Amino acid sequence: MKMHMKHLDLYSQAIKTLRWTQPMRALSTVNTSSGVQGNLSPAAPAPEPDKLYSKLEIELRGIDPAVLKSYTWFATTAAEHLGIEKGKCWSPRKAHHERMTLLKSVHIYKKHRVQYEVRTHFRYMNFHKLTGSTLDTFLEYIERNLPEGVALQASRTELQEIPEHLRQPPEQV
Amino acid sequence: MSSALTRLLERLPLKKQTAQSGIRVFSNQEQRQEIEDDEEFRVLSLRTVKQQMQKRQQVRRDPITPPRTGRMAVDQDWTAVWPGPRSFHPASVPLPLRQGFTERGAAAPSKFANAELMKIPNFLHLTPPAIRQQCEAIKKFCTPWPKGLETEAKWQRHFPLEVTTTDYCQSLPTIRNPEARRVTITLKLSDLKFDAHARDKFLRLVGDRYNKDTDLVTFVTDRCPQKKQNYDYALYLLTACYHESFVTEPWEATKSEADMEVYLFERNQSKVSAEGILNWNAKKGAPKVVPSKSFAECVEKLINEGENEYNLGKYKEEVKKMLNIA
Repeated sequence: MKMHMKHLDLYSQAIKTLRWTQPMRALSTVNTSSGVQGNLSPAAPAPEPDKLYSKLEIELRGIDPAVLKSYTWFATTAAEHLGIEKGKCWSPRKAHHERMTLLKSVHIYKKHRVQYEVRTHFRYMNFHKLTGSTLDTFLEYIERNLPEGVALQASRTELQEIPEHLRQPPEQV
Repeated sequence: MSSALTRLLERLPLKKQTAQSGIRVFSNQEQRQEIEDDEEFRVLSLRTVKQQMQKRQQVRRDPITPPRTGRMAVDQDWTAVWPGPRSFHPASVPLPLRQGFTERGAAAPSKFANAELMKIPNFLHLTPPAIRQQCEAIKKFCTPWPKGLETEAKWQRHFPLEVTTTDYCQSLPTIRNPEARRVTITLKLSDLKFDAHARDKFLRLVGDRYNKDTDLVTFVTDRCPQKKQNYDYALYLLTACYHESFVTEPWEATKSEADMEVYLFERNQSKVSAEGILNWNAKKGAPKVVPSKSFAECVEKLINEGENEYNLGKYKEEVKKMLNIA
């Protein structure tokens, strides 16, 4: 019974380790510390290599430019602390305006109108050379601290090898 | 009146000593009874009357303490005071903030009882020490960028395929955004291996997805509802176009001159005309004279690359040489 509980503990520890797709070093330490390598290998799959992202482009939109500016400062500071290479951070000079020009009265009096307007401010941030773990951690962190009223769009560019079936021309034509 | 009050005060301990239960009466009635006692005979009261002066229950309230900002140390741990996102609280923020509009000459309203400061999102929970502290906590989940892939030229050689996806984070009732299904796959054409026929056919198959200036082939898929499905479909499209371009169908041999995307001298009227000119007035049975290879190359360049000064000059020289004009 104790041995069974010990095995369950090891399995949960291995799964907990694998959840964050840590590099091979962490799993090797788990294997060496456990000492029962044969038992772990069928249960825990081999850790897949981390993904590579060449670029992460973040688009922010909101109605308050001061909030977007503060959030951009926070995101770039967090990126510096995590060792992420920061790219170009910019914002367009003018906000996007949506205007509706309506009659002031319900029916006639065409000369008297009123204008309603919604302004959307944008901000863009670029980060380069992130691994999959770093990108997931960074995105999780900055998305949790997204202020209310701000929308975030994150575009990631993943680097992959050419698939095996495309590397050589087919033999039979 | 004052004598009546003094008599009331004198009689209080007597009534307390005689603990009797009865019906309480109003104070004005009691006073009247006392007055009547002094002046006339006491009114006969068959019901036992008990009167007690009961004070009103006084509600205890906690004393209003001064704002917390007055007792804060200068070197306190601010992340303990303001750990997460929260509305502005004037007694907790040790800053002399002012916000709002006033008439001319007056100062902006103070931070106490200021609804404007409570409306806007604040970043008081993301101060530089807090960011540093939180990043140190999550640094163990990050992995460094691998060595040997520092520049784009290096990772381009090993990982030529680029997959672009988009995620959205916004305040909607659902966390799913239908725009997140879009997948873009980008690849350089030079990274795929082709022969002449396969390359031509591949370019015809992909059509406007190929950018001649950047040598990039781009597939954008959004017809499936999920990102993984669109990714698999994009790879399938790339695979199908690649393998199909190596298949030679019988009808491809019937390609006419008007469908040629490049000018080939061997299959054009120019060759026939040049041969006609060279073999003009030749005897029957004499060997046919063919135009020189350099002339063919010159004509092909003139038409494929366009008429520029170099090509026209070269064409002039070749024509002179062919016609034996000094």
